[in-house]
Amino acid sequence: MIEFAHVSKRYPNGQIALRNIDLQIGAGEMAFLTGHSGAGKSTMLKLISLMERPTAGQVIINGKNLNRIKPRKIPAIRRDIGMIFQDHRLLFDRSVFDNVALPLMIAGYDHREIGRRVRAALDKVGLLSKEKSTPIMLSGGEQQRVGIARAVVNKPPLLLADEPTGNLDPELSAEIMRLFEQFNQVGVSLLIASHDLSLLAKMHYRTLVMKDGQLIQDRSDTPQGLDLPPAQLLGADNES
Amino acid sequence: MNPDQLTGARLTQGASLKARFKMLIRLHKLEAKRGIQDIFDNPLSNFMTVLVIAIALALPTGLQIMLDNGKQLSQSWDGASRISLFLTLETSKKQTIDLSNKIRQNLAIKNVEVILPDQALKDFSQQSGFVDAIGELDQNPLPPTLVVQPVEAYSTPFESGKLLAIYAKLPQVEKAQLDLDWVRKLYALIQLAEKAAAALGLALGLAVLLIIGNTIRLSVQNRRDEIEIVKLIGATNAFIRRPFLYTGFWYGLFAGISCWLLVEISLFWLQQPIANLAGLYQSDFTLSGLSWSQSIQLISISCGLGLLGSWLSVGRHIRAIEPR
Repeated sequence: MIEFAHVSKRYPNGQIALRNIDLQIGAGEMAFLTGHSGAGKSTMLKLISLMERPTAGQVIINGKNLNRIKPRKIPAIRRDIGMIFQDHRLLFDRSVFDNVALPLMIAGYDHREIGRRVRAALDKVGLLSKEKSTPIMLSGGEQQRVGIARAVVNKPPLLLADEPTGNLDPELSAEIMRLFEQFNQVGVSLLIASHDLSLLAKMHYRTLVMKDGQLIQDRSDTPQGLDLPPAQLLGADNES
Repeated sequence: MNPDQLTGARLTQGASLKARFKMLIRLHKLEAKRGIQDIFDNPLSNFMTVLVIAIALALPTGLQIMLDNGKQLSQSWDGASRISLFLTLETSKKQTIDLSNKIRQNLAIKNVEVILPDQALKDFSQQSGFVDAIGELDQNPLPPTLVVQPVEAYSTPFESGKLLAIYAKLPQVEKAQLDLDWVRKLYALIQLAEKAAAALGLALGLAVLLIIGNTIRLSVQNRRDEIEIVKLIGATNAFIRRPFLYTGFWYGLFAGISCWLLVEISLFWLQQPIANLAGLYQSDFTLSGLSWSQSIQLISISCGLGLLGSWLSVGRHIRAIEPR
């Protein structure tokens, strides 16, 4: 589903965000990407969503080599990726329904089909009763769930989440994670960037640890891994 | 809907072609509405924009109307292309009438008026008031005259000039005269005014493009965040462009209608003084305004300029916005 082959990224200002990353995430897999801010998590996600291009190496998504994608084709690639953001990125001048319907409108669905799918997605995140509200009337957790509904409404095979629980309390975070698990159970691949270590410790999924633009640990969910306390897991980072 | 239907983990197939087409029409309706909403969200400043465009369009439109009226007026004065043939003094009455009949047979001639010397003298003495002085004359010095009026197609300076040359060669004709200078001057003036109107129209059309382009640019800047978000969700530039194109179109439509109103109100306002002026010249001339087809033309041009202005502006500015 996601493949990084010798990927490096150097920003125009000289900052090196990624150094020779090799990574494979299979279809239907759910993985966490963690590390300190500036370790390169966001850059990884930006390369997948074509907001940035790698300086070297190749990123392959759904079997498509992104290096070969022309700017004109970027929208089509993005439609197959559901993206969830820390700051939700909702349109505040439109209703919850319209926000969630946006990907379907872009894809050109029939309006009855849009109604069905949007309500199904809102039902899934427990916000069916709020479809007529505007995002500004919702709490942070609810806004995030609207963002999630928007990301899944088009049934993308891959979900990317950038610090989806960044601004939420532990209880709401756990709720969001349960949603992600449900999506994963029906076969969606997920890559979730998060530095919420206590949350990661509770989740038993593959965890990729980044530091200074390198992948320093690729910890599959083994029993030993589970026993490792999060602080120890990132001990090296904390010292630097 | 059960969960696996909701997030079935396969590549999105998108919608069928028919559904896409139906959605496209629906989207166009939505975006047309959104475009108009965009204008009404900010009524005062957008009203002023519309008014500026309307005024810019009203100037060349007004000039065009003046020109059309001027042309009409000059046509109603087709006497200007009347050719006067002064015959030799010894031409008899019968010869004069024969000649007039001969000329009248020419298809290019609408009418020939015969002025016999006696009649001419009578008219002259009445109009000039030199009755006594004329009475002193022992001989009528005035020649028989034919006033030849060509049909409209032969009333242009060029055509009537050709006719003049033909008649001047007739043996009975002493002198053929056409008030050609006056006609030429009028035509030259109208031509100049037409060129000026075209230049003004072009310059102001360009100004309208710039005004709309700039308004749309600001509108794009204001919705920068929104554009970034929909780009992230996979919207194409064409999708993002559409509501802005509609906004441009609506600007054009509103400006066109406002311009039409401005012109009609000004004409109404001028109607009375012009009727007064025409009355002084014993003319029943009235100012004619925009015909239906001209009105539709005006509004279409305005809509076209709105669409073109936003199209020129929006593509460039949307491409410059990339999600970060």
